[in-house]
Amino acid sequence: MSTPRPDPNHAVEVRGLTREYTTRSFFGGVTKVTKALDGIDFTVTKGELFGLIGPNGAGKTTTIKILTTLLTQTAGEAYILGLDVRKDLYEIRRRIGIVFGGERGLYNRVSALDNLHYFSDLYGVDPTVARSRIPELLKAVGLADRADERVEKYSRGMKQRLHIAKALIHDPELLFLDEPTIGLDPGGARDIRNMIRDMKKQGKTILLTTHYMFEAEELCQRVAVISKGKIVALDTPAELKKGVRDIAVIELRTYGATADYVDRLKQLPNVVRVVAELDSEVQTIRVQTPLGADLLSQVVSALPPDAKIIDRTIKEPTLEDAYLRLVEE
Amino acid sequence: MGSLDDLTPGKRTEGLLGHKGQVIKACVVLTAKLFFADPQWIIPSIIAPFIFTLVAFFLFGGQAASGSFLLYLVLGSGLMGMWGTTIYGSSNSIGFDRWNGTMEATLAAPIPLSWIALGRVLFNTFEGVINALFILAIGLVWFQVGFSLVSPGLFLLASVSTFLSLSAFGLLMCTVILLSRKGGFITNSMEIPVYIATGTMFPVSILPLAALPFAFLLAPTWGIEAIRLSALPGYVGLVTNYWTDMAILAVETVAYLALAFVLFKRVEAYAKRNGTLEEY
Ligand SMILES: Nc1ncnc2c1ncn2[C@@H]1O[C@H](COP(=O)(O)OP(=O)(O)OP(=O)(O)O)[C@@H](O)[C@H]1O
Ligand SMILES: [Mg+2]
Repeated sequence: MSTPRPDPNHAVEVRGLTREYTTRSFFGGVTKVTKALDGIDFTVTKGELFGLIGPNGAGKTTTIKILTTLLTQTAGEAYILGLDVRKDLYEIRRRIGIVFGGERGLYNRVSALDNLHYFSDLYGVDPTVARSRIPELLKAVGLADRADERVEKYSRGMKQRLHIAKALIHDPELLFLDEPTIGLDPGGARDIRNMIRDMKKQGKTILLTTHYMFEAEELCQRVAVISKGKIVALDTPAELKKGVRDIAVIELRTYGATADYVDRLKQLPNVVRVVAELDSEVQTIRVQTPLGADLLSQVVSALPPDAKIIDRTIKEPTLEDAYLRLVEE
Repeated sequence: MGSLDDLTPGKRTEGLLGHKGQVIKACVVLTAKLFFADPQWIIPSIIAPFIFTLVAFFLFGGQAASGSFLLYLVLGSGLMGMWGTTIYGSSNSIGFDRWNGTMEATLAAPIPLSWIALGRVLFNTFEGVINALFILAIGLVWFQVGFSLVSPGLFLLASVSTFLSLSAFGLLMCTVILLSRKGGFITNSMEIPVYIATGTMFPVSILPLAALPFAFLLAPTWGIEAIRLSALPGYVGLVTNYWTDMAILAVETVAYLALAFVLFKRVEAYAKRNGTLEEY
């Protein structure tokens, strides 16, 4: 059986991609097979900003590792810029950039400048080009005046900006960003999102994974929702939201609400789902319901006497609501 | 915050050898920077060899104060120091990325891992040279060892060749570490037998017969012989022919390199199968 040639307009082409992990117990006895990816298909066209979203353990990082040639698939095919991830290792690596979220991936005991020089040589960037490109990149990510400092003194946000500069050092056509804003404060995350927009404007293709739905909604042209190793939906954020057209969201900000109250809300008829953040002093509770405002009186009367509603709004469902429906069903 | 517009377009170094050379250089430079960034470097490189040398002098120095015997000791301690750093440092050239959290970044590079390791190993072996030079300086200044070499040119050639053979050995050990769970155990337990087998402190000829094949398979054994022949007047070694020693050294070094490159392919294949080298 011959497989069809990859489409030259596709930056990423994935067919039936499957990956199993075999883990042995410490004493070598029991083996456990985890199917991290279970035959996924998708394509990313050149110049597109494509999002991969899904809960913990869904298989996002596994997908990225296969596409960046760091891991081999158990079955299926993956082509990057028309090249086979199993065969054209080094050609692919030269043409892609990778950002993994989190603290890892930099040499902390040396400066940002040292890191960028090292990685530019590793990627075979012409040294004369590197001499102008490195300061330009440092300036672009706002690290120019601290370029000589050891990376260990950097804040999380600065490190992540350096990661972006590092991933761009060899001017890749295609970027893989695995949770690039994880662990950043809102300002730091916004800086990264602005850089992602800039990269897109320059015509780079981007594959992004994230846990933050508003981020996917704000940035991505198309989003694949992945759950337990399978793609359960793939569309534009607007189209995905149509999946929850039948519901509206009552958003409450409350004072003194407890898990008890949330449970009571869940028991109400016509409540599809309740998502609550109870940790802070002011709680945010989102009640999904097809009744919309008509449910409001019941929501209010379920409130215990010692709790207060600060404000309440009826909202259009967001990508998050659509996402929750997809991954929970 | 600036913007990412108007960056100089990234142009690639032409030619594959150009890129390999660039990677080796970059890895030497980075490893050197990381080494000197940690003030602890002074312990293995300066203080430990200093103590080694002192002990050697006090043990053997008194009984034969002849200049050439002292030079023998200096060479021996210097080489011993080089062995130590080769085995500890070089073999961890890539293993270092495990605890530094840079394994993926290293594995993602568009060049075989062996070239990255080679650059790092070269510097790690060079740390041993720093160490050896320091011992030599102690010998020259403190113990006033006469430094008259039989043939300075051949001595230099033998020293550089031994350095390269140590690097090749380090590269090989680096794959052993990556391919074995008990990597640390292997290198630690190898250090002492290797000191003895290569005859850094004693002539190999006094080794028991059973240990000789092992000693002969270690390229630096021959390098050390060649160094002594070119440095010490009247030295009687294993084959007592400088060029024979050098030829065996060359053949064995090339064999190490070839084996290391083959094993690096296996390391990379393992990494791809499992997506990491973190928890081998
Ligand atoms: N090296 C490994 N060995 C065994 N199992 C693994 C390995 N890496 C991942 N897995 C398993 O594969 C599944 C998918 O993991 P993956 O890291 O791809 O998820 P993810 O979508 O990136 O999750 P997260 O949002 O937490 O980053 C999980 O069940 C995980 O436990
Ligand atoms: Mg992940």
